[in-house]
Amino acid sequence: MLNVENLRAGYSGDDAVRGISLEVAEGSCVALVGANGAGKSTLAKALCGLLIPRGGRVFFDGKEITGLPASEVARRGLCLCPEGRRVFGPLTVEENLFLGAYPRLPSFGPFRRAASGDLKRIYRMFPRLGERRLQQAGSLSGGEQQMLAIGRVLMARPRFMVLDEPSMGLAPVVVKEVFEAIRSLHASGMTILLSEQFAKIALALSDRAYIIERGSVVLEGASKGLAKNPAVMAAYLG
Amino acid sequence: MIILDAKYIALAQMAVGGGLMGMAYALVAYGFQLTYAAGKAVNFGQGELVMLGAFAGISLAGTGLPYWVSVLGAMVAGAVLGWFVERVAVRLALKQHNEGWILLTIIVGLFALSSVENIWGRDDRPFPAPWPAGALDFFGISVTWPELAIAMGAMGIMTLVELAKRYTMAGIAVQAVSADPEAAELCGVRSRSAISLSWAVSGAAAAFAGTVIGPVTTVGPTMAAALTLKAFSVAVVAGLDSGFGLVIAGIALGAVENLSGYVLGSGWREAPGLILLILALALRPQGVFGKKIIRKV
Repeated sequence: MLNVENLRAGYSGDDAVRGISLEVAEGSCVALVGANGAGKSTLAKALCGLLIPRGGRVFFDGKEITGLPASEVARRGLCLCPEGRRVFGPLTVEENLFLGAYPRLPSFGPFRRAASGDLKRIYRMFPRLGERRLQQAGSLSGGEQQMLAIGRVLMARPRFMVLDEPSMGLAPVVVKEVFEAIRSLHASGMTILLSEQFAKIALALSDRAYIIERGSVVLEGASKGLAKNPAVMAAYLG
Repeated sequence: MIILDAKYIALAQMAVGGGLMGMAYALVAYGFQLTYAAGKAVNFGQGELVMLGAFAGISLAGTGLPYWVSVLGAMVAGAVLGWFVERVAVRLALKQHNEGWILLTIIVGLFALSSVENIWGRDDRPFPAPWPAGALDFFGISVTWPELAIAMGAMGIMTLVELAKRYTMAGIAVQAVSADPEAAELCGVRSRSAISLSWAVSGAAAAFAGTVIGPVTTVGPTMAAALTLKAFSVAVVAGLDSGFGLVIAGIALGAVENLSGYVLGSGWREAPGLILLILALALRPQGVFGKKIIRKV
């Protein structure tokens, strides 16, 4: 479903992503594992249009999407839940969720009814968001913000989710909760690319994984096998 | 009932008249706020947009169109021009991450100014408005209908836009773009369109300001520069991010400038705006009503 060929990307100076190729099949969950600064987030941004790649190509559903603006990529169903959550702090929880469904809601007409079914689904999945639906998103705890960020992506009815560091800055008990949600999404058939520095938790959840070091893939394979690989576990114990 | 000294009544009269005019400054400043929130830039030719709006209104009314239709026409023209300024001047500079938009918006404003002088001439003109003659009396202070129209119109437009920001998806998207443009893009919001929309609304608000100021001050090419300065002072004093602080700052500036004109002589009318701007920049760069932006990590 997603094919990345020899992608190179970076901000200034050297490439942070130095020719990465990867493949994600429909319905699978693939993990990108690597230390902080390995280039995972740069890769995620370059896939989703937040960063124009310096080289290589990205195909989604067989169509090239390299260099398309992020809003266009999102409209095709490839949605990024960004590192650091990036919820809209001054807006309410509910407004954040409506924004997730923005492309299919009327810009000036009544929009609440058009999104109410999806909204209910998100509140069932994350009841705490429902309790706080009229609070400013900036006042939520880190874990609640992560749930909101995931909920916002789900409002778009994505066909493919890229989750960038969903555990970042969260307490272990909250991490567990967030990953439980990701697991059930995967179980329901969602295609997921999960970028995560905690190798153990990412490998336990995913079908396949790529180990990334300094902008390149150093190892790839079935997650179960990688989890048993002592070299991997020694390097990315987490 | 309290009987006031005639002198105080005159001062109060000056303050009220100035304050009502100040609502127009607040409206133009609100236009600054709109574009700054969405795209971190403002139009330093906003005063020229006000003037163009006023002239467009006069010309439309001159063709025999009813007043309200002329006002609406002026607003449409203002919206198109606001959109145009962003497209030709601002977008280019921001794409290259420089501050060239400041100069470019001034240049577009100067173009507008000379076009107006060529089309409509340099003379001040009256703006025909259907308000009844005479004035309303509030405890000895008289308020004319055109003055009242400024205050009501300014409040009306600001309220309408604020409601649209909260209760339409387009408005919520504009707010999202001002909070985090990248995250908004990830939601499928085309941030460039949201910014264009805010410039169009800002231009329409400026043109509307022209059509309500016109009947009070008459309309001429000289109104533009002073208005930009005053509105910018109001926006800076109130903070470019604080909603209704603008109204208070606008009324205060209008009142103070009228009073200083009355007490110190008409040459001093324009001084308070400048002094206010300098003081605000020196003492509270985030605005008197603005909040410091606190980032949660």
